[in-house]
Order: sequence, then structure tokens, then C-alpha cells
Amino acid sequence: MYLFKMLQNEHLKIYRRIGTWIMIGLMILTLLVFALVSKFILNEEDSASWERQAQAEITQIEERLNSGAPLKVEQDYLEQELAVLEYRLAEDVPPLQSDSLWGFMADTTNLIGIASLFTIVIAASIVANEFSSGTIKLLLIRPVSRGKVLLSKYVTVISFGFVMLTLMIGLSFILGALFFGNSGGASAFLTYSNGQVVEQPMISYILSLFGYKSVEIIMISTLAFMISTVFRSSALAIGFSLFLMFTGPQFVQLLSSYDWVKYILFANTNLMQYINGVPMVEGMTISFSIIVLILYFILFTIVSWAVFKWRDVAV
Amino acid sequence: MTEPVAQMKNVKKQIGNKTIIHGISLDVYPGEVFGFLGPNGAGKTTMIRMIVGLMKVTEGDIYIQGHHVNKDFQKAIAQVGAIIENPEMYDFLSGYENLRHYARLSVKPISKDRIKEIVELVGLSGRIHEKVKGYSLGMRQRLGIAQALLHSPSLLILDEPTNGLDPAGIREIREYIRRIAHEENLAVFVSSHLLAEMQLMCDRIGIIQHGRLLQVEKMETLLKEKKRTVQVNVHPKKQAMEYLESLSWSINNINGILHVEIEQKEDIARLASDIVKSGYQLYQLNEKHESLENTFLELTKEEL
Ligand SMILES: Nc1ncnc2c1ncn2[C@@H]1O[C@H](COP(=O)(O)OP(=O)(O)OP(=O)(O)O)[C@@H](O)[C@H]1O
Ligand SMILES: [Mg+2]
Repeated sequence: MYLFKMLQNEHLKIYRRIGTWIMIGLMILTLLVFALVSKFILNEEDSASWERQAQAEITQIEERLNSGAPLKVEQDYLEQELAVLEYRLAEDVPPLQSDSLWGFMADTTNLIGIASLFTIVIAASIVANEFSSGTIKLLLIRPVSRGKVLLSKYVTVISFGFVMLTLMIGLSFILGALFFGNSGGASAFLTYSNGQVVEQPMISYILSLFGYKSVEIIMISTLAFMISTVFRSSALAIGFSLFLMFTGPQFVQLLSSYDWVKYILFANTNLMQYINGVPMVEGMTISFSIIVLILYFILFTIVSWAVFKWRDVAV
Repeated sequence: MTEPVAQMKNVKKQIGNKTIIHGISLDVYPGEVFGFLGPNGAGKTTMIRMIVGLMKVTEGDIYIQGHHVNKDFQKAIAQVGAIIENPEMYDFLSGYENLRHYARLSVKPISKDRIKEIVELVGLSGRIHEKVKGYSLGMRQRLGIAQALLHSPSLLILDEPTNGLDPAGIREIREYIRRIAHEENLAVFVSSHLLAEMQLMCDRIGIIQHGRLLQVEKMETLLKEKKRTVQVNVHPKKQAMEYLESLSWSINNINGILHVEIEQKEDIARLASDIVKSGYQLYQLNEKHESLENTFLELTKEEL
């Protein structure tokens, strides 16, 4: 009950800020522009010819395989691609087209970075703002433990992240339906699993795309939340988390030949690497990544909690 | 004797290796306005931060209604309403929404009527639905006081509450503070570096300097204890002073003016006739009350 009221307060404090609505507005605008561009500017290749394209790709892959792929992982990957393409031709399953509802929705997952960015902004400011405005003093002299104050703030951040994500899914569905209708495109997504090609319903594939991305949002905003709690500066927390978010994966890629790299947060945040693609570092598995993510999560939350709980408030 | 609402027992605070509070012990009783008086940097705000649990005490204990502030924080703090330094509020919310925000965090439910009552009391009714962004400092201060009183605390802590108020506002708040303390048996702990203000508001006063409590006194006692002196301008000074001292007056020569201590009004007449009889030339003689101000300044003399 008490926590409910605290959540009410925290939500009030973010949704009554103009900045929050500007972010939501920007998000809607971006999706709208993206839909318009996909519809009117991007020239899609003739979807009738997908069979020919698939055929061409198969030839390419076979050539590459025959010339002896340098790495075992690459070879595996090529073989999987090959199996999927052959299945596609044999069963007549067209690939995702950008100018279809599902294709558009799948493409919008590339814009999830915007949802991450805005969630980071909220995560980085929800604690720091109370310190910079001095209101933390009046907030912490209520009959609630500091742990609960922090929890209510954290839950609010995560809830905001989900609001952004839901907004994206909902909006991309509406815009996709509006601009592209249910025209053409794939009905099923093909994945390669346990040595064979399987058909996955398109809607569940797209939701899983968003689902995997939400893991990234949660991790990066928990990191931003921690930085902001420890340093009480939203600018620092935003800057640092964004820097890590953009350079982290590159850094991991660059050093992927070293084994220890797999323990870095950013080698694990992108769980999609296990669905279609090759792991960042050879030998990584999805369960390994999940364990690493959980450990980082525990670390971030414990650090935030301990610092927030024990520090003297002298603003 | 009634039980104290707040008890501080040998409270010390050290930040880094700098000791800011050197063992302060103090009780605050229901129904009294206690003034915590000290110059800038004396440690008033630091002490208040410890009472409300924003800072941990390094040593010693603080109890509010018998609950230890650090060990039993929630029970202790539920009894407290406070403003600490500036009255910072969420300025993108209205005054009313700010109060609702804090009302949600109260243990006992706070009705809309109660909020309305408090708003009227601090004189913000006309502007309460405006955003705090547009409030003046005095209005924020009033909102701060409203926020502190909302849940009917038994200990009200006000750090420099009249900061930013106009004279009418100061008077209003002062009278209100005295009234609730006395009528509702509330303990009020007010800090200030302004003596004149404390003189009018408080029943008891503690003077703090460099983190030490120098003196705790009932207001009446402090006012009564003031020394009376008469300033005398007489010529020639040196001889006159020696002569008067031989008549057992106690005299201080400050910048060429003789300060003669007296006990009662009749002493003035006696002193005047002594001087006139001596044949020295008397140019000026006037009585000077040692105000509490001087007592305060004297107590906290060696500055920084
Ligand atoms: N976080 C801190 N770290 C180090 N020193 C501090 C800290 N907070 C306060 N101090 C020091 O403690 C002393 C007391 O400060 P405090 O704010 O309690 O004074 P005050 O009596 O409230 O003064 P004022 O009348 O100016 O409000 C000052 O010398 C100050 O420099
Ligand atoms: Mg102060």
C-alpha cells in the first residue's frame, strides 16, 4: 500500500515534467518519419524476385564455403544461412519485406535505441534531480526507509522503459497497418535451431525482438541509475551510460579474440546474437550471458542501494 | 517533570577528520519553543540534519519520543516535521500538489480538509494551485512550513524559518509558532543566527558556537541577567577615573569613555553627585542597557 503511494508520487514527478512529454513526442515523431520514409522514399526491390535473390545468395554462400571458410563459427553460420535459404525456396516462404506490416515492425526494432536513450535520461535523473533541487531532504524525512524510496524510483524507471517500448510496439503496429496494410511479405519467420529450420509465427518473432532488446534497456538503465545514485549528477550518468552503450559493443568486437572479453557487460547485453548470428566471443552461450547479466544486475542494484542508504545527505 | 520530546545525548559529528559537533546534549520539551542560536558555520544545520536522520551521528544518541533516530528511524521520524535550510519544493508542481505528495508519505491519512486548513493557516490559499516555480521566497517558506505541519508532528524543526519573510510574515509565523507550541503542546526547535528574532519567539535558548553548546538558558533569565552600565564623559579622564575607583565604582575605560557598572537606578544619581562633588567637569552621562545581543556577541566573540 505504502509502496503503491510512493510509486504514485514518483510517476507524478516524471509525468508532470515537460521534458518527459518532449521525449514521448520525439519518439512518436521519429516513428512517423520513419514510416513515411519507408513508404515513400526507400525504393524496395521487387518482391516478386525474392526467389532469384535467394538463389543468388545460395550461390555466393556455396562459393565461400568451397573456398574454405577461415573460422569454424563463420562456417557454421554460413551453413545455417544456406539451410534457411534452401528451406525458403523449397517451401515457398517469402522473406520479410520492409514495405509490409511485419517488415516495418521488424525494422522499427532498429530504433529501440531511442527508447533506451530516453529511459537512460529518466534513470539518470530520477535520483540526481532530487539532490540537485534539494528536495531529497524533505523526501527522506518521511517514515519510509531509504531502501523503499530507492526501490520506488527504480521501479518507476523500469516502468517508464516499458511504457516507451509498448508505445513503440503499438505505434509501429498502427503505423505499419496504416501505411502498408497487410500487403505481401512473410507470414512466418525462419530460424535454424537444433539442426533444422523451423517456422516461427511472425508476431511472436517480432515481439521476441522487442523482448530481447528490453533486456538491453533494463541493463543500461540500471547502470545509469547506479551512476546517478553514486555521483548524484544526471549529466555524468547520461554521458557515461551513453558513451558505454555506443562504444561498449565496438570495444568488445575489437577485443573479441581475448577470452576475458566475454565477461564484459556489453558482450552479453545483446541476446539476439544467439538467435540470428554468431556470439561475440567464441564459446559463449545464452545461459552464460544470462548468468553474467544477472550478476551485473545484482552488482548495480547493491551498489546503488548501499550508497543511497548509508550516505549522509548534505545538500 | 514532563518527558522531553527530543533528547540528544553527547552527540558528536565528524566529517573526514574535521569535528563539526563536539558532544552536544540537549532536551526539548513539549509546549516550548527552543531557540538554537549561533553564528554562521556554528553547526546548527548539521545538528538538525542529525536529528532528522539525514546525517548519521558519529557518536552519541538522539531520541524522538523515545525512539532512537538511527535505530528506529521510521517511528522516530513519523513524529517530526521539519524544514532544513532552504524550503526546496518541486517547482514544476503546484503548491497543492507538493503538499499532496508529502501527504501520501504520511503514516496517518491526511484529508483534503486538513491540507486546506494548513494552507489557510500559512496564508497561501490564494496561490496554492499555482506552480511553485512562480512563488517568491517567502511563499516557498510558507509552503515549507505547511509541509512540516501537515501530519501534526510532535516535534517541529525549523532551520532559519523566517529567512526570506517580510516583517509581517515573520510576525505572523512567529505568533503561529508560539501559539501551536503552547496550545497544542508541540515542541518546536528553531535555529537562527538572528538574536532579536529569537528573543521574541523562544522560551528557551541554546547558544552554539564552533559545534559546542555554550549556554542553555530560559529566555527570562537571559533577559534579566543583562548588565547595566553608565557611560561617562568626564574631564580630566585619568584623575576622575582614579578618584571614582577610590570610591569603589567599578570602571572600564573603553576608547576614552568610562563605562561604570551600576546595579540600580539610584546608583546613577549617586554617581552623578560623586562626580559633581569632585569638581571634575562632567560633559555627558547616559545609561546603556546591555542587550542580549551583547551577551550573544560576547559569548561568541572570538570569531572564525
Ligand atoms: N558536508 C560537509 N563536509 C564538511 N564540512 C561541513 C559539511 N557540512 C558542514 N560542514 C562544516 O560544518 C560547519 C557547520 O556547518 P552548518 O551548516 O551546520 O552551520 P550553521 O550553523 O547551519 O550555519 P548557518 O548559520 O550559516 O546556516 C561549517 O564549518 C561547515 O563548513
Ligand atoms: Mg544553517
